[in-house]
Amino acid sequence: MITIHDLPKENLFTGGHTACPGCGAAILVRNAMKVFGKNTVVYTPANCLLVFGGTYPYVSWKVPYHHVAFENTAVCSAGIKRALKKTGREDTLVVGFAGDGGTADIGMQALSGAAERNEDILYIMYDNEAYMNTGIQRSGSTPYGAWTTTTPAGKVIKGKERFKKDVPQIMIAHNVPYVATASIAYPNDLLTKLEKAKNMKGFRYIQVYATCPTGWRVPPEKTVEVAKKAVETGMWTIYEYENGKMKINIKPKLDENGNLAVPVREYLKMQGRFRHMTEEQIETLQNWVNEKWKRDLALERALSE
Amino acid sequence: MVERRLVSGNYAAAYGALRARVQFVAAYPITPQTFIVEHISEFVNDGIMDAEFMRVESEHSAISATVSAEATGARSFTATASQGLALMHEILAIPAPLRLPIVMPVVNRTVAAPIGIWAEYNDVMPQRDLGWMMMFVEDNQEVFDMIIQGYRIAEDKRVLLPFMPNLDAFILSHTYEPVEFPDQEDIDDFLPPYKAEHAHLWPDDPMAIGVFTPPEYIQEFRYQTEQAMQAAKKVIKEVNDEFAKKFGRDYHGLIEEFMTDDAEAVLITLGTVTSTARKVVMDMRKEGKKVGLVKLRFLRPFPKDELRKIAEKVDAIGVYDKSISYSAGGPAFVEVRNALYGMEKPVIGYLAGLGGRDVRYSDVRLMFEKTLEAAKSGKAEKELVWIGTRGVQP
Amino acid sequence: MYEVRFHGRGGQGAVMAAQALADAAFIEGNYAVAFPFFGAERRGAPVLAFARVDKGKIYEKTQVYEPDYVVVLDDKLPQLVDVTKGLKEGGMAIINTPLKPEEVELGKEVKTATVDATSVALEVLGTPITNSAILGAFAKATGVVSIESIEKGIMDIFGARLGEKLAEKNARAARVAYERTQVGTCKGTLKYPEEKKWLPTVQEFPTGGALGLEVKTDAGLVGLGSFVENKTGSWRTFMPVVDNSKCANCKLCWFYCPEGAIEMLMNMPENEGKNIKGIVIDYDYCKGCGICANECPTKAITMER
Repeated sequence: MITIHDLPKENLFTGGHTACPGCGAAILVRNAMKVFGKNTVVYTPANCLLVFGGTYPYVSWKVPYHHVAFENTAVCSAGIKRALKKTGREDTLVVGFAGDGGTADIGMQALSGAAERNEDILYIMYDNEAYMNTGIQRSGSTPYGAWTTTTPAGKVIKGKERFKKDVPQIMIAHNVPYVATASIAYPNDLLTKLEKAKNMKGFRYIQVYATCPTGWRVPPEKTVEVAKKAVETGMWTIYEYENGKMKINIKPKLDENGNLAVPVREYLKMQGRFRHMTEEQIETLQNWVNEKWKRDLALERALSE
Repeated sequence: MVERRLVSGNYAAAYGALRARVQFVAAYPITPQTFIVEHISEFVNDGIMDAEFMRVESEHSAISATVSAEATGARSFTATASQGLALMHEILAIPAPLRLPIVMPVVNRTVAAPIGIWAEYNDVMPQRDLGWMMMFVEDNQEVFDMIIQGYRIAEDKRVLLPFMPNLDAFILSHTYEPVEFPDQEDIDDFLPPYKAEHAHLWPDDPMAIGVFTPPEYIQEFRYQTEQAMQAAKKVIKEVNDEFAKKFGRDYHGLIEEFMTDDAEAVLITLGTVTSTARKVVMDMRKEGKKVGLVKLRFLRPFPKDELRKIAEKVDAIGVYDKSISYSAGGPAFVEVRNALYGMEKPVIGYLAGLGGRDVRYSDVRLMFEKTLEAAKSGKAEKELVWIGTRGVQP
Repeated sequence: MYEVRFHGRGGQGAVMAAQALADAAFIEGNYAVAFPFFGAERRGAPVLAFARVDKGKIYEKTQVYEPDYVVVLDDKLPQLVDVTKGLKEGGMAIINTPLKPEEVELGKEVKTATVDATSVALEVLGTPITNSAILGAFAKATGVVSIESIEKGIMDIFGARLGEKLAEKNARAARVAYERTQVGTCKGTLKYPEEKKWLPTVQEFPTGGALGLEVKTDAGLVGLGSFVENKTGSWRTFMPVVDNSKCANCKLCWFYCPEGAIEMLMNMPENEGKNIKGIVIDYDYCKGCGICANECPTKAITMER
C-alpha cells in the first residue's frame, strides 16, 4: 500500500501541457508517472492526451514516448516491451494510456489479443465516457442517458439509449493476472493499484474514472467531487481482480436494507450532460445501477477466497 | 558453409529473416503468405531463431507491433498478402516518415472483390505513396537475397526507410526451386547488427517518436522522406554491387536490362513474368527480331533516369502490368510513361494475368510483337492492350 | 471586401461569433465566410476565428493575415498576444474591456472601440460569455453591418446550437452592448517580446523528427519535458490564493492539481529537514481550475478574480 505521501516531488509529466482546466486525465497521468518513475516507456493512441501532452516540438513526457495510431495501444505497447527485451532492457516498464473510445471501441481487438497473449504491459484506460478529443461523441463507455454530440437531447430521443460497456469484466474474462478499477477521487487506492501493477508481470489492466469537465458540462473545480459522487451512488465500482480473486475496495454507503443509499440523481444533477433526463430515464438508470451493484457483490462473493 | 536446398518462396522469405538475425517478428497468417508465419514459428520453437515472435490477432496488429518494435531499436520483420496488406494500410504510412527500417515481404495476391487467392498487384499498388521501398522479385533466390539486402539498404544511415520485397502468389510462394544460402558468417559480415541511433525508446537515452505535429513541421518530414528515397537509389546500387562481389549474384540494382543492346522494342516487366519474358526474348532474337527486356525491380524508388536512358536507344516501349488503376491504365505503365515525358516514343501498356490468370508464353510474345510493330510504325495502335480477356480484342 | 479576426479563448465561442457575423452580413445580401483557426487548442487556450465579407463570391481559402477589424473577446488577451498584428492601415480594434478607448493599451495606436461585454453578458445572460455582446459593439463601431442583422445572425447561429430562448438572450446582449460601445483611439504603448519558435530547416531537422530530452535551441527547449516552455498561467480567470496558516500538509491539492503547479513547502530544498506546513503555487502554469480550493479540507485556498 502506498499513499500520496510516498510520491516523489519530480514530475515526469510536466506542466505547460494544454489540457482543459480541471482535466481528470491530466491528474491521473501526472501522478501515475510519479509512481512509475524514469524506467518507463509510454505509448498513447490518438486521444486528448496525445495532443495536450505533446504538440511538436513540445512534449510533457520526460520518459521515452511513442505514438503510432488510434486502435493499437495494447499491441504497440507489447511491441515496445518485446523489443526492449531484445535490446537488453527487460526491466523497463511499458505503459499504454488510452481513453475509453480507444479501448472499449476501436482498440478492443488489439486489447483482447494482447490480453490473451498475456503481453507484459500495463494498460491504463482513462475513462471519461466519450470521445472528447473529437468534441464529445458517444463511446461504448458512455453511460445511459448522457448527452453527447452524437446522442443529443432531441425531441424524440434524449441522450444515449444503451448502457455503459463493462470493459473490466471483459478483461477478467481474458484470465489476465491483474484487472482493477480506480478513480482519481480516491488517490491512495489509485496509487496502490498503480504501484502493484507496476511490479507485476504479464498483462495488467486498470480502468480509471477520470472526469472531463468540458465534455460532462461540469465546472472544472468539481472534477474530483463528481468523481466521488460516482462511487457514492454506485455508478462506478472500485475493485480489483488478482490471481482469480475479486475484491471491492471501496464500498458505497448502503441503507438498512442493503441497497445503495445515495440515489443516482445526486450524481446526475451535478452534470449538464444529464440535465435533459426524464424521471422515467432516471428511474431506468437507477434500476440499472441497483442491478449492477448486486452483480458486483455477487461477483465478489463468487470470486473470493 | 554454403547450403543449396530446394525451397519455396515462402521458406526463402522466412529463412531470410532468420539469417538476417531479425530480433522481432509479429505476423498473422493469410493465404498465400501463411507458410512464412509457419516456418518462423518452427524456427522459433526449435530454438534456431532468436527472435521475439508475436503471434498477433490481425495484420493491423502485426504491422503496429512491428513499427513499435523497430522504433524501440530492434531489427523487426513481418509479412503479409492481399487483404492483410489492405488492412495494414493505415499503419503502412507510419514507418517511412519516422525513418524505421522494417523489412516486410508481401506475397502479391488479388484483393477482393471478387475474392480470390491468386497473384495480382492490386494489393501492393495502392500502397505506393507511403514511403516504402518497393521491389518485385523474379525467383526464390532473389526472395532470400532481397531480405538480406533489404535490411542492409533500409538500415543505411542515408536511407532509413522500410523495405517491401514483393513475390507473386503461388508462382513463387508455393513453388520449390533451388536456393543457395550463404554462410552465416559471411551474411553477418555483410549485414552487421542494427544500431538504432536516430530513433529508439530507451529510458537511458529517452526520445519522443510520433508526436502530434502541426503544419509548421510536417512538410519538412515529407521533404526529408523524399530525400531519403532519392538517396536510396545510390545505396541500392552500392549494396547490390557489394553483394554481387561477395556472393556472386548480381541483380544490377534498380532495373536489370536483358538483351537491350541494339533493341528496337523493349518490354518492361515486374515480377515472375520477367522469367517467361527472358525466354521469349531469347527465342525472338534467334528469329532476328530486335527485342529486349527491362526488369523493373524497384517501383520505389522509381528508376526514372535509368528508364529514360533505355528509351533513348529504342523505338518503342511496352509495359506489363498485373493490375489496373481504373481509367488510367496499369500503374507501372502510367509511371513509366510519366518518366518518359517529352520523349516522342510510343509507350504501350499491357494488362494480363489479373486475378491470377496465368500469363502464358504466347501472351508475353504478343506483347513483344505489338511493341515491335509500334517500333516499326513509330506509333502505338492502342495505348492500353488487354490480353486474354474474353470478348476483348488485344 | 473586409476581413475580421476574432481573438478568444477555447470555449468562449469566438467561432460562433465569426459565424453569426458572417450570417448577419449574408442576410444583408453579401457573400460571407466564417472559419476557425485550424488548430487543436483545448478549452482556455488562446484561439482565433475569422470572417470575410464581400459583395461577390470570395475565393480566398486562406487564413486572414491582414484584417480590417480585430475583435477581442477576452480583456486579458492583448497583454499576451499582439492583437493588432497585421491590422490594415485605418483598421479598427473592437475590445471587451471596462476601459475607455483612450485608456486601452495595444501594440499600435489604432482606432479602437470598447465595451464592457463581460458586464453586459453577466447582466443579460448571467454568465461571462461575451461572444454575442461583442458583436453589438462590432456593429456600432464599424457600421458595416446593422445591429438588426447581427440580432438575426445570432438567432440563426446561436439558435441552432443553443435553442431559441438562449439565442434571444444573446441577441439582447448584442443590443445592450451596441448601446454602450464607445469609439476612440487607443495607446500604442504595449511591447511584446519577440516571438521565438524553433523552425529548423530540412538540413537541421532531426532524422525522422525524433527528439530527445530537453533539447536546447535558440528558441528554448524542445523535445521531452519541453512543454514547460508553454506558460499556461495566462489561461487563468480565477486565481487560487493560499493561507498557509490553515494548511495541514494533507497534500490533496498537490495531488489533484492537473498542472503540477502546486509544490509543498516541505519539498523545497531550502526547507529540508524543517517541520513546515504550506504550499506554493506556480502561477506560470496554474490555469485556475479551482480543484485545489474545492478539495482543500481546511479551506486554506480560496479562488479570487
